[in-house]
Amino acid sequence: MRKMWKGNHAIAEAAMRAGCQFYAGYPITPQTEVSEYLSYRMPELGRRFLQAENEMAAVYMIFGAYACGMRSMTSSSGPGFSLKQEGIAYLCANNYPAVLVNVQRWGPGLGTLDSSQTDYLRDTRGGGNGDYRVIVYAPNSIQETVDLMYNAFDVAEKYRNPVEILSEAALGQMMEPVEFPPFKERTEDLGWTFDGTDRPHGRIDNPQKPDALRAKVAAITANEQRWENYRVEDADYVFVAFGLPSRTCRNAVDQLREQGVKVGLIRPITVWPFPYKAFEEIPDTVKGVISVESTDAGQLIEDVALAVKKMCPGNVPVYGLFSGQKIPKTKEIVAFFGGVRSGETKEVF
Amino acid sequence: MEIVFAGFGGQGVLTAGLITAEMALENGKNVTWMPAYGPTMRGGKAYSVVKYADGIIGGPDMEEIDILVAMNEPSLEYAAYLKEGGLIIANTNNVSEDAPIDSKFRVIRIPCLTLAQKAQNPKAANIVAIGAMIKACGLFPEEQAKAVLRQIFVDKGKEKYTAMNEAAFMEGYQAV
Repeated sequence: MRKMWKGNHAIAEAAMRAGCQFYAGYPITPQTEVSEYLSYRMPELGRRFLQAENEMAAVYMIFGAYACGMRSMTSSSGPGFSLKQEGIAYLCANNYPAVLVNVQRWGPGLGTLDSSQTDYLRDTRGGGNGDYRVIVYAPNSIQETVDLMYNAFDVAEKYRNPVEILSEAALGQMMEPVEFPPFKERTEDLGWTFDGTDRPHGRIDNPQKPDALRAKVAAITANEQRWENYRVEDADYVFVAFGLPSRTCRNAVDQLREQGVKVGLIRPITVWPFPYKAFEEIPDTVKGVISVESTDAGQLIEDVALAVKKMCPGNVPVYGLFSGQKIPKTKEIVAFFGGVRSGETKEVF
Repeated sequence: MEIVFAGFGGQGVLTAGLITAEMALENGKNVTWMPAYGPTMRGGKAYSVVKYADGIIGGPDMEEIDILVAMNEPSLEYAAYLKEGGLIIANTNNVSEDAPIDSKFRVIRIPCLTLAQKAQNPKAANIVAIGAMIKACGLFPEEQAKAVLRQIFVDKGKEKYTAMNEAAFMEGYQAV
């Protein structure tokens, strides 16, 4: 039966259903309900919950737990996630899986509690020192948050790479009806964890490391792109938006279609790997592509521009609607589109 | 349907939204509920947005409001997002009689706090407002709404407030 769940509680419960055995984290709004929920839910299920002394300690605790094969996760918001980056780089350097949750708030610095997507570039580019990428899911509803979390550990363990759920303040705080999948558990040995024997533990050193990383990135890019296209097949203009802005964008598409304007929407579900394949459906006659995002000066638009360069013939202009610390309203998207169509609004790329 | 409950922290505007969201879910709708509040627990600005529909729901924040429940006067600023012909339910205990409201909106003025006190339930001004809203707009059948209201508090382990809450609901329901 579908019940109303808060995004932050739902993601925590979904992690339990997915078999998470260990959590370490440190409070920060608007993410604290993830920890709060797990602080009583995990002992109830006989699992380990720990409030660490700080964010960096939390990420190294899950590093240690995963070294022993325990399904482990941590969560934070933008500022706390910055502090975790050193540990995330170490997870990647050692070829360790992990599940990370970032409930974004508007930054930079300590920022505010407002809902935004201003961590996009940091989180899709690795974010810390060295060369690595984290697989990043960007859900746009609470049910999708649950469904993606349910598979996150499997994907992380398959590639031995961290997987992040990139949420937003409003998505963490809001409630929607949700149905949960059943509890599952991984019982098989991962093959590389510390089990008391001297088997290899998975770290790849020079000179093999660059080749190994290239192969991993290629495999993830080939297999893990996820997206949802909406009315793209005959579109003259295509919006690209993920997370909550994709929902108002979809409304804008419907409103504009009612007026006879051919528009569509590409919604990346993975923001790394970026779903280049979604752009294959854009017709060659497309007149423009519009990135709609809750950032101040544009972040997603860089990936959109690269995808358009690769997938669309000619020099298709790419525009950007950047709504700052709020979800762009349907009306604002429709109005912005008016400017694009009339030529008043200039392209960014 | 897009409903905004707005007031200051402590007036129960988040809970009012939640109760309405549960009623809509019981009615078989897709629902979103989104809270917005500042860092202060009491006294600051707060609102919640409830949207429900048979189909997919867009963004969770306010866009084009059908019903604005204004528990205090500053909440009237959200009328800027109210549809033409939209309804404002104004709690006259905190919204003065001469507060300016555009004539393109329908207005119902009721003293939510006074009616809640009459029901021996002074904390339930929000539930009075829900009763008035449901009656005025015919959103949900009366019995179904009351059953959901009861269930919410039973689930919270607050069964002892069931009768008081229902009394507050009926004060609002009958005031319209």
